[in-house]
Amino acid sequence: MQTTGRKKLEIIIEATVLRRVEQFLDEAGVRGWTVLPSIEGHGSHGDWSSGDFTPGQERRLIVAVATSDVAQRALDRLASFFADYPGIVFLSDVEVLRPERF
Amino acid sequence: MLDSLQLALTNLLAPAVLFFLLGFGAGWLRSDLTVPESAAKTLALVLMLSIGFKGGVEASKAGLSQDFASAATAGVALSFGIPVLGFFVLRAISALDRATAAATAAHYGSVSIVTFVAGTEFLRASGLQFGGYMVAVVALMETPAILSALLLAGSGAAGRQGLRGELIREVALNGSVVVLIGSFLIGAISGSAGMAKLEVFVGPVFQGVLVLFLLDMGLVAARRLKAARSLTPALIAFALVMPLVSCGLGLAISLALGLGAADAAVLAILAASASYIAVPAAMRIALPDADPGVYLTLSLAITFPFNLVVGIPLYTAAAQAMIG
Repeated sequence: MQTTGRKKLEIIIEATVLRRVEQFLDEAGVRGWTVLPSIEGHGSHGDWSSGDFTPGQERRLIVAVATSDVAQRALDRLASFFADYPGIVFLSDVEVLRPERF
Repeated sequence: MLDSLQLALTNLLAPAVLFFLLGFGAGWLRSDLTVPESAAKTLALVLMLSIGFKGGVEASKAGLSQDFASAATAGVALSFGIPVLGFFVLRAISALDRATAAATAAHYGSVSIVTFVAGTEFLRASGLQFGGYMVAVVALMETPAILSALLLAGSGAAGRQGLRGELIREVALNGSVVVLIGSFLIGAISGSAGMAKLEVFVGPVFQGVLVLFLLDMGLVAARRLKAARSLTPALIAFALVMPLVSCGLGLAISLALGLGAADAAVLAILAASASYIAVPAAMRIALPDADPGVYLTLSLAITFPFNLVVGIPLYTAAAQAMIG
């Protein structure tokens, strides 16, 4: 089966800013993504866990695949967003079937 | 004096306080006891629905009064003013950055619904009759503190990143305010006939929900305290002394506006209480640099238990001594 190279973005952000970050992806030309919930983790502010009623604990993982140009545009926008809000993004090379979808 | 001590002891042995202590102990000892997040959120909804509805029914019986206007004015002034005081105290006694100090101060200006509920249960047990409109005062006191903190911190993160709409929604339409005000209005509209339908739900069932939620709060507070890394003696002292100062301010305003002892006690309890749901939610958007490890730990793990166990009887006794 023939595969084609694309870029995968994995973005971890607080649930409260999810809509805004989805807008960035849309504006950058990303054509699809999937949002996953979080359980718990550890970072610069210590441990966090989604398992209690206090707000600000929920994280979301957004997984998106796009062409290199589109991924770069999304990264540029995210870089300025992360100057104000906490978050993490990884970029990696992936192979996809049906490249016209990404 | 003896009466106050007696009442303080009664408070300490109330199921609500004991269940909180049970949760706190279990959390501290790393028990696997948990209240699932979705259940905890449901419990919080039932609490707000019940107190909003009950308050609305009582307010509809009493009608609009001068006391309501006075209490509302006092509450809003306290919510705006306490963060200003708290901010400058925090900046003076600790090395907190501007954003964290402002966010923490906002928590102390805003209110805790569970502290309000525990306080009103205590007042009822002590035979003190306060106005049903105090529930509306709770709702009014939730947000001015957030606005004060934003002015103090002067952060433009939400504006820069196009999140102003989210922030306004979080402040004006956060779930707890919507349910509280909505239930208050529904209670006021449906009156005694509505109460006859919901009596069991907002009465006896409410007591069970309250102790379950307090059990969870004990667990969360203990776990948060164990995980706290940024607490200093000065911050802990702030979390214990600020409620006393706020209580004093609440009583002074009550005295100036001529509120009765029971309403003054509720206002003092509200002034002394610190938010741990509405304010942190808004702060994550408005002041993302502020450290939740400081503001949530102080408000939920130190001030809330202090108010629940010691503060409520103390503020009530002070209100009675000053106004009684």
